[in-house]
Amino acid sequence: MTKFGRHDERSLIDLMTESSIRALEHAGATEKSVDAVYAASMLAGELNNQTAIASALVDQLALFPAAAERLENGPAAGASAIKNAYCGIACGMYDTVLVTGGEKMRHVRAETITDYVATMTNMEEEYVHGITLPSLAGMLARIYMERYGVTREDLSRVAVKNHLNGSKNPYAHIQQPISLEGIYGSPEAEVNNPVIAEPLRMYDCCPVTDGAASVLLCASEKAKEYTDTPISIAGIGHATDIMAVQDRKDPAVLEALRISAVQAFKMAKMTPQDMNLAELHDAFTILEIVESEDAGFFKKGTGHVALRDGVTSLGGKLPINMSGGLKARGHPVGATGVSQVVELVWQLRGEADKRQVKGARRAFSCNMGGFGNNVVSLVLERS
Amino acid sequence: MVEDRLIGFKCKKCGAIAHSRRMVCSSCKGRDFEEYPLGDEGKVVTFTKLWAIPEGIEQLPLTLAIVEFDGNVRVTGQVLDEDIKTGDKVRPVWGNIRKIRGKEVQGFRFQRVS
Repeated sequence: MTKFGRHDERSLIDLMTESSIRALEHAGATEKSVDAVYAASMLAGELNNQTAIASALVDQLALFPAAAERLENGPAAGASAIKNAYCGIACGMYDTVLVTGGEKMRHVRAETITDYVATMTNMEEEYVHGITLPSLAGMLARIYMERYGVTREDLSRVAVKNHLNGSKNPYAHIQQPISLEGIYGSPEAEVNNPVIAEPLRMYDCCPVTDGAASVLLCASEKAKEYTDTPISIAGIGHATDIMAVQDRKDPAVLEALRISAVQAFKMAKMTPQDMNLAELHDAFTILEIVESEDAGFFKKGTGHVALRDGVTSLGGKLPINMSGGLKARGHPVGATGVSQVVELVWQLRGEADKRQVKGARRAFSCNMGGFGNNVVSLVLERS
Repeated sequence: MVEDRLIGFKCKKCGAIAHSRRMVCSSCKGRDFEEYPLGDEGKVVTFTKLWAIPEGIEQLPLTLAIVEFDGNVRVTGQVLDEDIKTGDKVRPVWGNIRKIRGKEVQGFRFQRVS
């Protein structure tokens, strides 16, 4: 992957090409053929004036005549592309597929980005009223605070943990650790951490990020041609839910995430308890807590207790978002789902340096499109 | 649309009610609906005050809420009062809600019942 951050001087296709070359080099595959290229991006046409970006990517990489297509599934585009690459290989059509997700967003005004991203909410019931993703997260956070006793301090602790993790990740957008006092319960916190969507503040929200991430998938029997430590996709789940949050049975349950996780664990013949670490879609701090419950790791309403007890920190039973998560690694939307898998592959190979979860063999990721209504979950295993 | 009453839709097959106008019922896949008045008063289920507003909105901060009407029917919208809390009773009020690509969009907003 490229470093995530601000890349004013680079184009989106430039970032995606660099990331792809790094993945191909890492797999020793630069001289080998690739059957298909899946490019994941949510806003390449809207923000970068570039449509059909998969054709550009295959061109830049000179991978002709590989099949090439762009996958757009909101912020779940990355994991969706990995799922489709898996299906292409599993059905026997392809042996090797390159998946690259990328987004370049920082050059656009914040109001414009917020508005583009908000167009993935329900047009008539949400979007026209001024609903944005942060506002939905704010309303979910309030339900959680009033129903389960989650506090502003708990939310801030997610940010502190993920910033610490991000400080150990050279690819993260933000590599600066933060203190709890700096963002919560002090006079300077009022200045450092302004309200965005009450009760959520700036440090509860992921940054707007440029970057690209890539993985090379191949059929299991070919894996030894590329690496001595192959990582398998043991399980995949993909589920959807009613789009407007108001119309869901319980607005505080991410039902699509719950179902996709059940599917992924079932396919892998594993349980949440078998996982050594997880990468969750913490676009907002509250989401890490809710997802850790709905994915099956903790009982509903107790995710914040696990967080307080250090269960989700390095050294805990289930470290979450060792990469820094969307919070600190950053969230170039189309790249995010791919970058989660990149992190887990490094972790399962023991290559994650200072943020390494010791002896990790199995890991979970979930990548969310919309506000929880389109979710891809993956279970990875070191073979 | 009647401008002074908030209308929902009831599925003629299974009876599910939602504010959303749908072609296919999200509960039973039914295709026939009848209009269903949601009542004059709802209750705030959750809300946020939004300081990072999208294009086309001028009010800062913008208060947004999910409001529940009889029969557990929930509706999302702007609230005209700033100092609301969960459980407050609100009523729908018709007006301009935002601009989309420069064009004014109208719809219901909510006002606290004092």
